Amino acid sequence: MAASQKLMSVSRDWRERDVRVVLVALIIAVATVATIALFASQLQRTLVSSASSFLAADRQLEAENGRPVPAGWIEEARDRGIETGQMIEFSTMVFGESGFQLVSVKAVSDEYPLRGDIEVQSRAEGTRSIVGSGPAKGEIWINPRLLRLLELDVGDTLEVGNLKLEISNLLLREPDGGFRLSSLAPRVMMHVDDVPATGVLQEGSRVEYIYLFAGAENLLNDYYQWLEPQLEPSHEWEGVRDGETFSRSLERAERFLLLGGSLAVLLAAVAVAVASRQYALSQRDTVALLKTLGLTGKGIGRLYLRRLALWGVAGIIGGLVLALPLFWLLARMLGSVLERPVDIYLDPAALAPALLTALVSLFAFAYPPVRRLRNVPAMRVLRSQPGETGREAVPDLIIAVLAIFGLVWMYAGELALVASLLGGLVLLLAVLGLVGWLMVSVLRKVRGGGNAWRLALVGLYRHRQASMAQMAVFAMTLMLAATLVLVRSSLLDDWQAQLPDDAPNHFLINIAPDTVDEVDAYWAQKGSPLDTVYPMVRGRLTELNDQPVKEAVSKDERINALNRELNLTWMEDLPDDNRVVEGEWFAAGVTEGVSVEAELAERLGLELGDRLTFTIGSEQVTEPVVSIRTVQWDSMKPNFYIAFPPDGGLTDMPATWITSFHLGASNKVALNEFSRRFPTVSVLEIDHIIERIQDIVRQVTQAIEAILALILAAALVVMAAVVSATLRDRQREGALLRTLGGQQSLLVRSTMLEFALLGFVAGILGVLAAEAAVYALQVRMFEGSFQWHWEVMLPVPLISALLLALFGRWQLRPVLSVSPMLLLRRLE
Amino acid sequence: MNQMTDLSKTDTSPMLRVTDLTHKVSLEADTLTILQGVNLEINRGESVAIVGRSGSGKTTLLGLLAGLDTPSEGKVELDGSEISRLSEDERAMLRARRVGFVFQSFQLLPALSALENVMLPLELAGIEAPEKRARELLERVGLGERLSHTPRQLSGGEQQRVAIARAFASDPVILFADEPTGNLDNRTGQAVSDLLMDLNREQGTTLVMVTHDDRLAARCGRQLHIEAGVLTEPELVEEVSG
Ligand SMILES: Nc1ncnc2c1ncn2[C@@H]1O[C@H](COP(=O)(O)OP(=O)(O)OP(=O)(O)O)[C@@H](O)[C@H]1O
Ligand SMILES: [Mg+2]
Repeated sequence: MAASQKLMSVSRDWRERDVRVVLVALIIAVATVATIALFASQLQRTLVSSASSFLAADRQLEAENGRPVPAGWIEEARDRGIETGQMIEFSTMVFGESGFQLVSVKAVSDEYPLRGDIEVQSRAEGTRSIVGSGPAKGEIWINPRLLRLLELDVGDTLEVGNLKLEISNLLLREPDGGFRLSSLAPRVMMHVDDVPATGVLQEGSRVEYIYLFAGAENLLNDYYQWLEPQLEPSHEWEGVRDGETFSRSLERAERFLLLGGSLAVLLAAVAVAVASRQYALSQRDTVALLKTLGLTGKGIGRLYLRRLALWGVAGIIGGLVLALPLFWLLARMLGSVLERPVDIYLDPAALAPALLTALVSLFAFAYPPVRRLRNVPAMRVLRSQPGETGREAVPDLIIAVLAIFGLVWMYAGELALVASLLGGLVLLLAVLGLVGWLMVSVLRKVRGGGNAWRLALVGLYRHRQASMAQMAVFAMTLMLAATLVLVRSSLLDDWQAQLPDDAPNHFLINIAPDTVDEVDAYWAQKGSPLDTVYPMVRGRLTELNDQPVKEAVSKDERINALNRELNLTWMEDLPDDNRVVEGEWFAAGVTEGVSVEAELAERLGLELGDRLTFTIGSEQVTEPVVSIRTVQWDSMKPNFYIAFPPDGGLTDMPATWITSFHLGASNKVALNEFSRRFPTVSVLEIDHIIERIQDIVRQVTQAIEAILALILAAALVVMAAVVSATLRDRQREGALLRTLGGQQSLLVRSTMLEFALLGFVAGILGVLAAEAAVYALQVRMFEGSFQWHWEVMLPVPLISALLLALFGRWQLRPVLSVSPMLLLRRLE
Repeated sequence: MNQMTDLSKTDTSPMLRVTDLTHKVSLEADTLTILQGVNLEINRGESVAIVGRSGSGKTTLLGLLAGLDTPSEGKVELDGSEISRLSEDERAMLRARRVGFVFQSFQLLPALSALENVMLPLELAGIEAPEKRARELLERVGLGERLSHTPRQLSGGEQQRVAIARAFASDPVILFADEPTGNLDNRTGQAVSDLLMDLNREQGTTLVMVTHDDRLAARCGRQLHIEAGVLTEPELVEEVSG
């Protein structure tokens, strides 16, 4: 017994190639899955925290009916351990020494902002600084443009209604000012407790009460559960995930990581399965011997089970030792571009998938072939028995497929993803069966000769079983790797397309109709020409098919667009990034109808021909829906829910014009002169935000590349595992071929050719299957459009052929370096 | 090709000439001398048995004679070529065309059928229509019905018959056999050695065979003894062969 245990010791194990492959596969699986899960969790936290800063909180409750919400709501939130804060937004006139101006006021409580920060400047030319709270009582912070408009200076006083406030800072950037275009007038920020004293808020004034909430996700969700029944239609609960460009980019990154993780799981599973099957085969003689020495089948089962458990522990420890520093590095990289990096957090929940992967790989993939060792007949010692037929492995395969399905599903939580991948795999196996059948029937006819080509073809036929198995695994591996590479490039391209270096980073709002041409000329002359300039009319959607819209639409539907004024426009041409999905775009000369954005149309249940009534000031306009179009909300250009044709229903309505354009950092000084010449035009500077997003995208891209490298390494291990599965047989064959007079060069050439052919065919199949999977993924998960990737059609099969040829060459090495005599002695 | 073989078979120069051959292997600590001062000449068409105790160096000598390895010292001339002067590839070519092997443990490739195993040396030697010749040989050794079976599906005796068919496939001028009946029972061994001797006679091959089986040794024209790496030849046998 002691001797048999020695036979089973781990240190002895490590010297066996198959065991090493199993262990390396396990380690890479655990490392990849753990790194990805940890990083995804970190990304998620970064995402929430960055997106939160766009709201200045985790959630906002907006009351657009001009009345504060019941105090009990806020108390309830505090009692539940949620941080709260308050803002009041309204427009009013402010008075300075030399005049007055309409401003948009944001009055904030001490807690503001709960998330994110404010950027201010203490003097007109002073340095910028980041602060964590708004103005104190008695103070007011103002937009620098107002300073110029009213010829004021920091330290002067400004009158808001009845109250005089001291200008103590210039307000450059507020966290929640990001993309909202409602702030047409220059912004000022004051303390919320000063608002009553101004006396400007009368019954019926347009004012928004906004409440801020921050806290743990589950607390917030529970609170919302409690709050929801009491909300009125004019109350709006806003979360962080709602369509900010920033969070979209990161969300896609997250999905990519999930996909990557799933592929890593699949690859690892394949590697472990192949290596352990090979290991089990190689253990048959040992087991037969142990049996003749009197060990029972049960005892043997126990021995191997203990072994697997040990490997599991070793794999998990090894994997984590690799994953933790890697994660730390990636998280540091991500943190380095954030103004307020999220602390590196080791999410214990993120380790669960890695551990589960290791366990499932071991017990669903490695254990079945090892378990069958119990059935090895002791007779094997005396006479080599027919090997396993494929049939015993069928239940294994079923277990494995189910386990893979479950793992990926658990990991990605997306049925679409699992279905895409497995669909691709099944398709692949079907095609593979066909190719295999073809190969066998064609190759059967080839006859050997001294020629390396013919020997290679004959070799493929002779090893047809092993060849098919290897081809299946290679094609699968290549498919997974290619899928990932393709999705990655399309993801990066999308990002690049979304935020090109010259993406618009400034908005001009509130341009008076008669100055549009002048403004246009000004920027053209400064070398930063404007994008299309759109008219903008503010109005509400009030009736749908002559019924009040709030009745026409079911109560539960909480539709943002109904609660606030919409920006309406008219345009002649469909913007480049919009797409008509139903109906027709306005033909030239048409003046009737409106075009509605697709999501809004869906939520309102609009169909072509439905009549919409808009209330604009005191006027009403009614038009039928003639087209429904999709809009690229994250394009950094003005986007509109509703568009009219030129000379249509909006003609003669009071319009101002809006546009966006790209302004390089070196050209920013032109803004000062612009503000002086066109004091009524609002400039919305989002260059800072865009730079931040670009930075983050860059860093996330790097992280994705790093993880991709990790996964490709896993793919290589799989290939090595599969190639080395037939190592022994091939070496024996090589030795014998040499003894029988095969020249080394012939041996080398025919082996390399044989593997290259295998690799080439597997490469073609893999690429095609990858295209199928990418098609499904692209359409379902990444909302992109699909294109054939001609650029990989040839390189992948070629690279795969080369890689396999080299693998083949490498495994022949021991056969070539020693004399045939010694080889035969070893093989005995 | 065949002409060349025929020529060499009527040649009167010795098939194999060994001069002062010594073979050593270096182990971790010291070097082990396996063969010492071996001198030997074998003529065309002769059949020679090498007998000796286990571990005396028989397999090593056979390997050196066949050019599977090169000696530490001394010369081996096989069919006129001095093998230690040849490159590995030239030796391979020599083996492909002139040499056949039969091993104690058969050494068939498990992935290949009986037919494919026999075709292997034919393909390596670039001989035309390898399948036809392989079929003929398998029929000759009585396995015409088992062409598509793999070694695992054959008994030890059957495997050795496949190995013998393979050894004669490329029409060698010299055949090396290392205990060809060592793994077989008496009767099967008898049948296999009958087959070996018969084919040898039919093909006019030179045969060098290591064996423990005295009866098989006795059927060879000459017997050599090896003990602790030193080769001796009993007088009696020399008289008979002379
Ligand atoms: N490469 C090697 N390294 C170490 N020792 C070797 C090597 N080759 C042969 N020997 C040793 O040389 C001796 C002779 O070996 P060989 O196989 O020639 O014996 P043999 O006469 O064929 O024995 P058997 O009848 O058992 O087959 C043995 O003791 C063997 O262990
Ligand atoms: Mg021996």
